[in-house]
Amino acid sequence: MTKLLEVKNLTMEFGGVVALKEVNLHVSAGEIAALIGPNGAGKTTVFNVVTGYYQPTKGDVSLNSQSVLGLKPNKIARLGLARTFQNIRLFGDMTALENVMTGADARNKVGLIGSIFGTSTSRQDEKLSHSRAAELLTFMGISHRSGQLARNLPYGDQRRLEIARALALEPKVLLLDEPAAGFNPQEKVELGELIKKIRDAGFAVLLIEHDMSLVMKISDRVSVLDFGQKIAEGTPSEIQSNQKVIDAYLGVVDNAS
Amino acid sequence: MSSYKTVLSKINLRDSFGAWWENATKRQRIIFRVALIGLFYALPFLDNPIIGTPETNFQSVLFYPLAVFVVMAVGLNIVVGKSGILDLGYVAFFAIGAYTHAVLGTFYGVNLWINIILGAAFAMVAGVILGLPALRLRGDYLAIITLGFGEIVRIVALNLEFTGGAAGIQGIPAPPNIFNVTFDVLDPKPHYWLMLTFTMLVVWMYMRLGKRRPGRAWEAIREDEDVAEFMGVETTKYKLWAFVLGGAIGGGAGAIYASQVASILPDYFTLNVSILVLACVVFGGMGNIWGVIAGAALLQYLPEKLRFLSETRILIFGLLMVVMMNIRPDGLFPRKKREKVYDKVTGQEISR
Amino acid sequence: MDFSILWSEFFGLTLDGIVVGAIYALVSLGYTLVYGVLRLINFAHSEIFMIGTFTSLGLSIVFGYTGLEEPLGIVLFFFVFLVMALASGIASGMSAVLLEFVAYRRLRRRGANRLSSLISAIGASFFLVELFRLTTESKDWDFPRMLSKDPVFSISTAYFTLDKIIILLGAFGLMFGLDRIINTTRLGRGIRAVSQDEKTAILMGVNVDRVISFTFLLGGVLAGFASTFYMLFYESTKFNVGFLLGISAFTAAVLGGIGNIRGALVGSFVLGLLQQYSSVVLGYNWRDVVTFVILVFVLLFKPTGLFGEAIQRARV
Repeated sequence: MTKLLEVKNLTMEFGGVVALKEVNLHVSAGEIAALIGPNGAGKTTVFNVVTGYYQPTKGDVSLNSQSVLGLKPNKIARLGLARTFQNIRLFGDMTALENVMTGADARNKVGLIGSIFGTSTSRQDEKLSHSRAAELLTFMGISHRSGQLARNLPYGDQRRLEIARALALEPKVLLLDEPAAGFNPQEKVELGELIKKIRDAGFAVLLIEHDMSLVMKISDRVSVLDFGQKIAEGTPSEIQSNQKVIDAYLGVVDNAS
Repeated sequence: MSSYKTVLSKINLRDSFGAWWENATKRQRIIFRVALIGLFYALPFLDNPIIGTPETNFQSVLFYPLAVFVVMAVGLNIVVGKSGILDLGYVAFFAIGAYTHAVLGTFYGVNLWINIILGAAFAMVAGVILGLPALRLRGDYLAIITLGFGEIVRIVALNLEFTGGAAGIQGIPAPPNIFNVTFDVLDPKPHYWLMLTFTMLVVWMYMRLGKRRPGRAWEAIREDEDVAEFMGVETTKYKLWAFVLGGAIGGGAGAIYASQVASILPDYFTLNVSILVLACVVFGGMGNIWGVIAGAALLQYLPEKLRFLSETRILIFGLLMVVMMNIRPDGLFPRKKREKVYDKVTGQEISR
Repeated sequence: MDFSILWSEFFGLTLDGIVVGAIYALVSLGYTLVYGVLRLINFAHSEIFMIGTFTSLGLSIVFGYTGLEEPLGIVLFFFVFLVMALASGIASGMSAVLLEFVAYRRLRRRGANRLSSLISAIGASFFLVELFRLTTESKDWDFPRMLSKDPVFSISTAYFTLDKIIILLGAFGLMFGLDRIINTTRLGRGIRAVSQDEKTAILMGVNVDRVISFTFLLGGVLAGFASTFYMLFYESTKFNVGFLLGISAFTAAVLGGIGNIRGALVGSFVLGLLQQYSSVVLGYNWRDVVTFVILVFVLLFKPTGLFGEAIQRARV
């Protein structure tokens, strides 16, 4: 299995704070990898570094065996890495369709000049973005929302929209940051099925999630982060019985002080 | 109170117009467009006691402040309304365009047609020089820098001999005759039509961009720049484009303005002008080009019509900006799009 | 570029630079304090200052000192000056609180974005400027010379006149007082808390609304005192006096690092000196360009200023 996303020895320091220390992760095509850990462990920081928002202090991130260090986030996105956000961040005043089209646009070539003069390529691109966005909205089951403003959508549809927008980039790797937050159990089951569908379509999925039952049910592999370091990695059942992981979540009596 | 609100909510001009527009045939749309454009060109002849301005020449008012501010509002709208970049120094581009024609036209005999392009080009260059470093900054700081830039341009024009110093430049030539139309200082009509044509070109260009990828990119940048970046939008490029295009529009308008007023002073290009244009954009509806045009026209027309307002114009604009932001930040004609709701099962459109 | 005057007048220019810097410092503290708690640039702070100048002017008219021919006696002067300074402080302070209430509070409650707040601030600023332009007929209003400007002593070309000494002592006294307020009083602690972490401050029981009003009050009062010092030194005001002074004070705050009190002070003195020096080297005309250029350059190349906090990006 080709490792589509590889994070090697990643260290991230902010001033004096070491947010991540020598973290190693990888995700392969057709795989759902989960990243779990107590709050503040650094999981979202991993996403932020991987997508190019922060430059790591040490270490490397490569996408499809190509290092993406130092590249701007939009370039990394266009190379095939898309993400969603812990607190939903949609383009509120744009319609659902426009939100997804913004992602789809990234796959097109035509820029400003072409658009002004309405070249045939630009018109084709426009149609392409439109149809791909519509398809994705249907895939996520929210095509009836296409004409509505993103901020007027109900919560569940907003989460789905964010995923649709990320998929519009046709990424090789999809990063999902707590996609199930705020869902009821039924919706979580549907979401799980959806993520599996995405994986079966050939994407590599890296998932940050707090809902353990969801994580254990759909993940192929789980990595555990605590205080910025990876403390365990393995199959869901291995992780569930790993003492270090249990300690991290429940806390250990501090003998040092 | 509540019944008045429900009545108002039913009279939604934007949505009813939008509904009509969508159902209109191509022929109907063309007729509408032609009629509207015809109306604008015919405006100078429609001076009458009802819409005319009491103390000033209506035709002159049509050119300045109406047409000038409308086109500048359209330009600034791309920057502030659509892309969310607060520019407080927009007058700088206007000044650059005006001085381009003033200097090149008066002293070097270059005609207006070339100077419109040159003015726009110089403004674009200024936009790049300022924008490349400045657009990296966050909102407030960017705003202050643009303000500083606007003032720097004015003070430089005030102090350089090349730009005539405090006395400015006089005797700026009108454009040469075209289509048998003579441009004359005394007759504002041809200049108005020229500015109107320029405005239409600008609006046409904007329509091509706004509904396509650049428009979406700009809006995404305004909504959430970081996320736009994550979604593959080249934010630096698009921000710079917004800034530069806005500048080009200001520059072109400045050149035309200089040719009509025939003499310019640095005093014409103060911070006040930048704020006035901003007020038009804010009042009209940030991001909504029709709103901005209507808002600019209203805000410039009313003080002329109601003369007592004219003295306190800026006072009212200032108050307006505070009030608008607190009560109706989206402007008079908000850019909220017309939402379509579809039925989940049948896929049919549900009318609200 | 003429450097000869710079060397020959160096001490004099330096003294003036420090005096002007002291006035800037009091005003720039207003910008920096408000920025610290709200992350907002109070565009209308310059008009708060302007209101102070007219308050002092108004009192001078009320006391009948317009067209004064002889300076007042020292004791009388101090009394009058104190009254004027207090009155300006109160007027500016209350104007600032009112400004916050009218132009910013609602937006803050709504969590409105920066653009809206900034536009509201600009609108308020313009409203105030125009209001005063219309009521004061856009002319220069002169302030009577209530104090003799004969030098008390001098160091080389630096002539220490009484007004300069008063300004320096007064400004430093006020800054010391501010430091005490920020560090020892409850509201001062509140300001520091909200500046660092608003959410936690709320959880700790800090009344954010009151803290913010108090911040505006402090900034306004300081600007009010500064305005009386300004009138003493420059002896004139006009409806748009706030603009250039505000830009200078703001540049000083940015130069020192916006949000950083110590930075605002250092930045103010540095700017005051730079302005004095450059006005003789480049010519008085170019002085304002120098200020703007410094502002633009600092923002472009070292936006954190000399001491300041980093301009934060949104946390993803």
